[in-house]
Amino acid sequence: MSEYIGIVVTFVLAGMLVGAFIVLASTLGPKKPSPVKSEPFECGEVPFALPRGHLSIKFYLTAILFILFDVELVFLYPWAVVYRRLGGVGLTEMVIFLGVLMVGFFYAWDNGALEWH
Amino acid sequence: MTDLILIVPELVLVGAALALILIARHVERAPSAATWVVVAAVAAMGFGWAFSSEGSQIGFRGTIAGDGYAQFFKTLFAATLALAALLSVRHLDAERVPPAEYYALLLLASAGMMLAASAADLLILYLGLELMTLCSYVLVGITRDRAISNEAAVKYFLLGSFASALLLAGISLAYGVTGATGFAAIASAVSDRSLGQHPVLLVGVALVAVGLAFKIAAVPFHAWAPDAYQGAIAPVAAFLAAGSKAAGLAALGRVCLVAFAPEQRVWSDILVGLSALSMAIGSLIAVSQTNMKRLLAYSSIAHAGYALLGLISGTPEGAAATMTYAFIYAFMTLGAFGIVIGLGQRGENLVGYHGLARTAPWTAALMFLFLLSLTGIPPTAGFAAKFGVILSAVRAGYVVLAVLAVVCSVVSAFFYLRVAVLMYMTEPEGAAPGRLPAAVTTALAVAAVVTILGGIFPDTFAAWTVPP
Repeated sequence: MSEYIGIVVTFVLAGMLVGAFIVLASTLGPKKPSPVKSEPFECGEVPFALPRGHLSIKFYLTAILFILFDVELVFLYPWAVVYRRLGGVGLTEMVIFLGVLMVGFFYAWDNGALEWH
Repeated sequence: MTDLILIVPELVLVGAALALILIARHVERAPSAATWVVVAAVAAMGFGWAFSSEGSQIGFRGTIAGDGYAQFFKTLFAATLALAALLSVRHLDAERVPPAEYYALLLLASAGMMLAASAADLLILYLGLELMTLCSYVLVGITRDRAISNEAAVKYFLLGSFASALLLAGISLAYGVTGATGFAAIASAVSDRSLGQHPVLLVGVALVAVGLAFKIAAVPFHAWAPDAYQGAIAPVAAFLAAGSKAAGLAALGRVCLVAFAPEQRVWSDILVGLSALSMAIGSLIAVSQTNMKRLLAYSSIAHAGYALLGLISGTPEGAAATMTYAFIYAFMTLGAFGIVIGLGQRGENLVGYHGLARTAPWTAALMFLFLLSLTGIPPTAGFAAKFGVILSAVRAGYVVLAVLAVVCSVVSAFFYLRVAVLMYMTEPEGAAPGRLPAAVTTALAVAAVVTILGGIFPDTFAAWTVPP
């Protein structure tokens, strides 16, 4: 268990630091509440509102297609690093992997996911 | 390369699914796609059997097993896939579901089940189950314009992801204690370093068992099943009841009997609780159902409990009893759902079965056969299967549980045979149902043959039920 001592110390220090900030801010800080300040998050957005207007489904399609290529990259980078060591087998496997992904991409393309009317 | 022989059935199914996705836009009618899926399923089964004697029993660095246990379940999943494909034809054209996408998902889900059954490593097991459930979520909600389907899919997705998270947490705890994810490695690490009583490992075993209990819809992790079955189109419900339950049982069997074999005391206590609750609550709630799909959903929950009876003992004979149970249950539930599908909209409610024996005697007779089998009355296969699991529970000393199983069977006779009473002893209402579609008739015939054969010759499947 001794190797966990460092982690425990970190947790305790972090807790003390955060606790100190909260206590200091609530005791020393000036308090001038206003309706805007009392809202959650206070980021300029109205926190609770009914959804208005339409959001085009096309944005989601594009986002999903983006994930397709994102996953591809996540796999391609480590493969490129060890490309020489993996050799022909690695290349074949990667081509199959890309082929499967491209089937999905082709499906989306074929069904008009890339057409922006 | 020789490792690839172990996953030939999966490769066939995935290849068939990719081909369907490629030509998706040009597939307009369901029957052609269904034929393609049936061919793929039969090919997967055939190749699986043809290559079963070749190569080693385990491959991919000990992560995928190709033993008789995997073989048995792969055959079961291929058969389930073929029957579900046949049963879907009529629904897809009626509901305007795109056939290619639907069948591709069905194929991929089956490939996931097969992978889960042959997994010899917790991560491969997770991968297979996840492929199965991700496809199932979409299949449940594939009728997009029906609000009830959307609701069912979202509920199934939320509870299913929660279950997956629990399973992963269990896997990570087991890995943390033993330093391995391979089943054999975990078992040897536990016995070599006497980690049997390590509290973290006990929690890990419990979490894995709970995660898999979600997949087989055992009480108290059953809440998704009735809603998902009711919201999904009937063929998808049939596929889930037969396939995903068997996949969960296959995974549970191998994990308990191989990976966590030294922890038997822990998981068999958990399974006893799950089994007792599933049998009792599934049977009791089914009594008050008037929707046929919900009734079959609660019946599937109760059957999860019966199937677990075999695993509790932890013996090879018990595991073989559970395997037989999963196999026979798949066919009899596919048969019962097949009648629901064949009757169309009127099959969904109990009212639709009034006087069916008068207007459609053959359909009623087949339904009666499947209901007898689900109840567990001889000479149907359901009796042989139930006898096997109850016997194994008695041999392992769980007499009270066995008595509970028998009592629950009696309770279940009430709601199964109520449908039979409605069919045979009430006056017909409305018009006679039309003829069953040819595809549905074919599927029903296969299911009926297995149900009768398994009852008259109870040892039919004994040679193939190889415990892990």
